[in-house]
Amino acid sequence: MNDTTETPLLQPASSRDGSRYWKSLEDLAETPAFQEWMQREFPAGASEIEGVNRRHFLKIMAASFGLAGLGLSGCRRPEKTILAFGNQAEMMIPGNPVFYTSSQPSAKDNIPLVVETHQARPTKIEGNPSYTPYRGATDLFAQASVLDMYDPDRSTHSRNRSGRVDMAAVRDQLNTIRRKHRDDRGRGLVLLVEGSTSPSRSRILRKLKAQLPEALCAEYEPLSHYGAETAFAAITDTALRPLPQFDAAKRIVAIDSDFLQTGPGKLGFANAFAKGRKVYHAEDADRMSRLYSVESNLTLTGSMADHRLRLGSAQMSAFASLLAAEVLRQSGLNAEALAAVQALQTNLEIDPDWLSACAADLLEHRGASLVVAGDHLPAEVHCLCYLINAAIGANGSTIRYAQVEKPSASIRDVVTRLQSGRVETLFILGGNPAYDAPADLDWSNAVKQAGQTLHLSYYRNETSLQCDWHIARSHYLESWGDGRTYDGTVVPVQPMIDPIFRTFNELEVLARLAGESETDPYAITRATFDAMTDGTDAAFHRFLSNGLLADSAFATENAPLTIAELLIQLSGANVSSPEFSADSLELIFAASQNTYDGRYANNGWLQECPEPITKFTWDNAILISPRLARELESASGVQITPDRSMMVEAGRLTQQTATFQRGRQHAPIAELTVNGRTIKAPVHIVPGLANYSIVAPLGFGRKAAGRVGNGVGFDAYPLRTTSTPYIATGATLKLTSERVQLANAQEHWSMEGRAIVREGNVEEWKQEPDFANNMGMESHSPPVYGKAQNESVQYKVTNQPRGGSAHEHPRFTDPLPNVPIWNRPGAKEQFRAPQQWGMVIDMNACTGCNACVVACQSENNIPIVGRDQVMRGREMHWIRLDRYFTGDVNDDNDIPEDVQVSFMGVACQHCENAPCETVCPVNATVHDEQGLNVMAYNRCVGTRYCANNCPYKVRRFNFFDWNKRNINEVYKGPLGRVDEPELGKMQKNPNVTVRMRGVMEKCTYCVQRIETAKHDQKRIAGASGNVGVPDGRILTACQQVCPTEAIVFGDLSDANTKVSKLRESDRDYSLLGYLNVRPRTTYLARIRNPNKRIPRTYKMPFTRASYKARQPKPLNR
Amino acid sequence: MANLFPKSINTLPIKIIVAIVFIVAAITAGVTYYFTPEYTRIGYAPTQPVAFSHALHVDQLGMDCRYCHTHVDRAAHANIPPSNTCMSCHSLVKVDSPALAPVRASYESGNPIPWVRVHAAPDYVYFNHAAHVNRGISCVECHGQVNQMEVVYHAKSLSMAFCLECHRNPEQYIRPLEAVYDLNWERPTEPEAVAELETFVHDWKVNPPQSCSGCHR
Repeated sequence: MNDTTETPLLQPASSRDGSRYWKSLEDLAETPAFQEWMQREFPAGASEIEGVNRRHFLKIMAASFGLAGLGLSGCRRPEKTILAFGNQAEMMIPGNPVFYTSSQPSAKDNIPLVVETHQARPTKIEGNPSYTPYRGATDLFAQASVLDMYDPDRSTHSRNRSGRVDMAAVRDQLNTIRRKHRDDRGRGLVLLVEGSTSPSRSRILRKLKAQLPEALCAEYEPLSHYGAETAFAAITDTALRPLPQFDAAKRIVAIDSDFLQTGPGKLGFANAFAKGRKVYHAEDADRMSRLYSVESNLTLTGSMADHRLRLGSAQMSAFASLLAAEVLRQSGLNAEALAAVQALQTNLEIDPDWLSACAADLLEHRGASLVVAGDHLPAEVHCLCYLINAAIGANGSTIRYAQVEKPSASIRDVVTRLQSGRVETLFILGGNPAYDAPADLDWSNAVKQAGQTLHLSYYRNETSLQCDWHIARSHYLESWGDGRTYDGTVVPVQPMIDPIFRTFNELEVLARLAGESETDPYAITRATFDAMTDGTDAAFHRFLSNGLLADSAFATENAPLTIAELLIQLSGANVSSPEFSADSLELIFAASQNTYDGRYANNGWLQECPEPITKFTWDNAILISPRLARELESASGVQITPDRSMMVEAGRLTQQTATFQRGRQHAPIAELTVNGRTIKAPVHIVPGLANYSIVAPLGFGRKAAGRVGNGVGFDAYPLRTTSTPYIATGATLKLTSERVQLANAQEHWSMEGRAIVREGNVEEWKQEPDFANNMGMESHSPPVYGKAQNESVQYKVTNQPRGGSAHEHPRFTDPLPNVPIWNRPGAKEQFRAPQQWGMVIDMNACTGCNACVVACQSENNIPIVGRDQVMRGREMHWIRLDRYFTGDVNDDNDIPEDVQVSFMGVACQHCENAPCETVCPVNATVHDEQGLNVMAYNRCVGTRYCANNCPYKVRRFNFFDWNKRNINEVYKGPLGRVDEPELGKMQKNPNVTVRMRGVMEKCTYCVQRIETAKHDQKRIAGASGNVGVPDGRILTACQQVCPTEAIVFGDLSDANTKVSKLRESDRDYSLLGYLNVRPRTTYLARIRNPNKRIPRTYKMPFTRASYKARQPKPLNR
Repeated sequence: MANLFPKSINTLPIKIIVAIVFIVAAITAGVTYYFTPEYTRIGYAPTQPVAFSHALHVDQLGMDCRYCHTHVDRAAHANIPPSNTCMSCHSLVKVDSPALAPVRASYESGNPIPWVRVHAAPDYVYFNHAAHVNRGISCVECHGQVNQMEVVYHAKSLSMAFCLECHRNPEQYIRPLEAVYDLNWERPTEPEAVAELETFVHDWKVNPPQSCSGCHR
């Protein structure tokens, strides 16, 4: 959708969406593309009311007109039928979900899953806890992938140039290709596959290569993670995959590595890293690990770091050589290596005290320290990293190396062969090279050289439109297959449902090309498994039941390389640091947190999930540093930084650009030029970026993604070349006077109040263990518990001391007065008080990964509202992840360049004295005897008083019938067209009410899971009093998905539960506790662990420092 | 000229107004009282595609509820049996009965029999059968004497007031677990037996929820 010189616009004739899509884009063909985009970004209010601004809304299939309204049943009771099976399916109990193991395929790391199915339709994805490194966690992409399966835009049938074709025709075509190339030994055949971990696929591919030895089989992933593997493969001829053990590491240096959020293995890394951060009492403070992060982009890893050094990504080789030299110098062990590293001349200058303190810290924790480097960095960084790890004793203790297969041919080889004109058949299996291939390969022209082209794809995307044949592909939840996790453990891919449409499994397609007699994907998977094991049915069933094959991880080595080998490789490496300025910027291509590399572009949950750092939904922007913003401003005269008056409080940023108006961002548009190519895109300032590094998130600006993803954001792929896949230098940025409105949610749901985020440093925590409760208003106005102030948590939650209140509070220890049997003499002693639910969120472990937001959306049938409604602040997420920047402000005029980032997940706090309840005129929101603040949707009349009275801003109102009406006609209210695609309905959780227009909703603590667990326990109890749900039986959706186990839920009335024990932590505090609302969710204050020897180390975090500075006098408590 | 209207007509408008007020009040009161599940639902007895008689199968033949409603003690739903459950007997008994033709057709084709739903909770109510039948609440408390019904009909109102009545006075409805599926079980009246039933409530910690979250989510 951008005005690029490189990417030709798709012609309307090649549209896949029929009239609706192209009716909206008719004018696109006539006007410059970017102008069109602009108009879309400035939706005029009036036109929306008429319902004509339809482009950026989720448009879903109008498949079910017939179901409209209440029907004509009138006063008669509608007759419903119950359709039991003709023949009962095994294990299927109506109303009880069935759980199957599976895994989500990806290029290098299949995430093990347990999928919840209701009547054979998958509704919710959870991680498989049997795989202990990931502990049952998943990421937001895995959570959202279930929605892709029910996407009305997915490809439902195969086609060729003449139109739809049936499955038999596709199979005939595959056989024809096979016969044709059997004769030329595959000379004219090129296969381009996407990354996969599947042992079955590699087995079939090997057979195919044996049969057709001259065929080219290449693999392409736009965001591959082969940096370290190829670097080591150059030395030993086998690819080595570093497997860091973050739980064993006390000191960690991350060199431009976002190991917590991007890249394979992240779930295990985040979980292991968080183990080192979970200290609950000040006396254990020294057990905490310390993370140094050196990075250009502000990533989640950088946000978690105790020390963050901003450097350009292109300067990382230089940094690694300096660190290696310093570590080797201090260790004094290997003079030869030291000399070799020092011989690498670098011109980078960083604070020598920082470097020596960091190196000393690593060496002091010899055997418990670790250095990791980002996979996008050049080979010398990985070699230097290995060298440092050898010197600090990490190899074998905190990092191991697994031998893996070497990466195969690349997309460049494909293009070379295409250009030679010898390719008769180009078969693309998965992927989307027409959209994401490097720009210098000129993919679109190269494809034309092939005799015929075929594309196996889940969506009919940009690549499918270029190809002669489009073969519809099954979703992984419909497919048999297998895969490996990052450490090599074999996991199954198990179908939950037969393919809904006439689609193909990749294994079948490859098997037919290879001429296999067995083309059934199940049989192929089984045969692969049998070859790895003894091949018994029992072993296979155990594999499916556990969801993994035990002890199948890659064998690891402690130190597979010798120092001498490394030094040879390093000699003559270029570690010079480029000089950056406003005229010579470094451009970084980063994975998007919404669409990854673009493959999730048509997923509404992901598009609407605010990106963790920028909080963009439905958009991306070029990210620039504050210093660059100033310089661009003075060069162009366009104001993008805030006025002085817009900065509030000491250093706390609430408004990032001058262009925020009533929560909407009007971002200026800039022209970005690199490698002779130019695109136009909005810019957004992110404090914490390296000064002259700019970031372009990939995965947006799709043209044939589907009705959700088309034209969202700008496409950065046209700037990306084979030589600059991740880092391009020499970029320039020029501001224009144009502006564009972006859907940025960062100001939504801002809370009033003091000391919302509470942080401390290890040293001051040790001195003042309960600092978290001596901040904010609580320091002089704590929650009013009256005489019960010092009672235990258990006493407080069950007895509800009334404190100074005029009202008698109900005591949960007592039976309800209207139940005579329990109010008889002697009965009360036997009464078992209901369990009291509560939650603790550990801000020291929360990395801000957003998985909880999407998991909650999936579990609780939360609708998406579309870009326009997000700009109006109407997004429906029940849990939001507040991101706060704090910074050391040296000059009040300026935006801090070095920032500390804090994340805080906020959902309904289930206050014991809930302010929302007292204002509801119809008792739609009330307390129950388990301490839950419940919403009775069918009572709610939509006054929204409760939302007004909620200090946490966690209540969400259904302004429209998101679930039922056509999203273009929501403003017509009940007169709008009913538009509930059957496919979309299948995803809904049947245990949660789908809310309608005019109803308030909010986090329920997953009450459906609580009630299900209680019902189960009652079934187990039978004629006994064993009705208490054991601790750990109930996992809320957000808790289950959390990679770092930052969220803990359970019974507060029992002192032995995990949540009660966390409540005893020094760090425990209530958000806005001084309001005396007594929230059931509490937070554990964040602790940072800076190195005292590093210059400019702060005694306390910026937030706490500024908080103290604002206090009129020291607190004497 | 004689008066067209007698003098009494002068009060007519006020009479009409009063009458309208009364009529509206009566309609309102009537609707409020009679348009409740107590009156609208009880007695609903739709014609089923197969004239299945619970009286014959349960009372005369002595079948247990769970022979057909197999998952009632394990799931939220009390399932309607699949056709193959019927055929486990009817492949031997009354194999040619024309009344059973839909069952045989369903069994052979796999297509379901469209049984008409009699008891329906609203979509926002999440009732769990397993939690009740495993804790001493019999089928009969909500469904009536199904074992004596030739045609299943709606016997109880199943309104929210109906639910709460039991949730507030569980001792009046609880029974020994072995009697849950015995629909002819008679509640004892002698004081010792009543006291024993009441101990169930105390010993089993039966504390039925009365708050919204118990049934609505």
